[in-house]
Amino acid sequence: MSFLDANGTRIHYQRSGPDDDRGAPVVVFVHGLAVDNLASLYLWMAAPAAAEGFDAVFYDLRGHGRSGRPETGYALTDFTTDLHALLDGLDIERPVHLVGSSFGGTIAFEYAARHPEHVASVVSIDSGPATERWATLTRYALQQLVDSAVERLAVETPQEMYAGIAAAEGLHTAKKFKSAYKVLTSAPILEEMFAGPFLPVERIATIDCPVLSIVGSSGVHQDDPRGLERLLPDCTTEIVSGGGHYLLTEQPHAIRDTVLGWVADRETAEARAA
Amino acid sequence: MTDTTEQATLADPTTAEVFETVSTMLKDILAEAEVDDVEITMDSGITEDLELESIDLVTLASRLAERYGEQVNLAEFLAEMELDEIISLTVGSLVRYVVSSL
Repeated sequence: MSFLDANGTRIHYQRSGPDDDRGAPVVVFVHGLAVDNLASLYLWMAAPAAAEGFDAVFYDLRGHGRSGRPETGYALTDFTTDLHALLDGLDIERPVHLVGSSFGGTIAFEYAARHPEHVASVVSIDSGPATERWATLTRYALQQLVDSAVERLAVETPQEMYAGIAAAEGLHTAKKFKSAYKVLTSAPILEEMFAGPFLPVERIATIDCPVLSIVGSSGVHQDDPRGLERLLPDCTTEIVSGGGHYLLTEQPHAIRDTVLGWVADRETAEARAA
Repeated sequence: MTDTTEQATLADPTTAEVFETVSTMLKDILAEAEVDDVEITMDSGITEDLELESIDLVTLASRLAERYGEQVNLAEFLAEMELDEIISLTVGSLVRYVVSSL
């Protein structure tokens, strides 16, 4: 396990790749909000990314996994500042490929808009940039989760609640619920994350690096799966048939192949252009 | 009657040694999450019985690589599995993987 102090918070990260990683393409994997930590990406991407010759970086967002949990500082810009400080702390100077799942993709877009010189490409896994609509929907979903837990905990113990969820929806869902409840009740994410202001659409539209938007046909973009293509100048959409929001855990190997194959192609295209 | 549980494979000295090492690592990881006094056997389910989180597997991967060297690459072992397979892993299956990598 490795830790680094970035932006005043202890950040847990894992780095895997070739022994001599100078010159290797850098891929930074960014996980989702509340239900997630670096493990979901690490488990399925770390070994294959290293085998592909990538210098792969995985990290726990503040308030998540094994990273620090400051009492305050959960606006979107706190997360992009952490990412900037992490890259700086790891002495990564070349532009990186950002792979973000769910909220991780939102961070990736925000970072690409604010620091375009540091980003080679963005892969968004059922995600999109921060907008008022994103804030409303995400906040609502997370608030529902907390409210349902509070309601249940009034009549049952935490153990009974998790056992009940596990029996009804499986162990994995119970674990996600447990993680989200812990994260959302121990850090003021709901209060600070969605207050905005968010970057105007015109600013988001300046993200001109190659973007791959992987969307589940039943995911958050089901009503408009190719919306990002209209917004961004260099965006490709891959629609995963039958996929929901949690594409990575639903179809880990297909998503892995799509993500790593696309990043490898970007590197080939760049080498050819140079 | 033949004992068909995974526990019986501890008759092999290498397996027994790896089991001890993995059990100690898992107990340390669980203790960091303030879970103490867990009984670990080869048949323990890592999720159902030990309630390990997926991030605990990331920590275990690091510690196994530190202890046995890079040839024990737990991330590589897990990367080919579906989520359900990872959730239903037993301590015995982790131990067998480590033994097979040495």
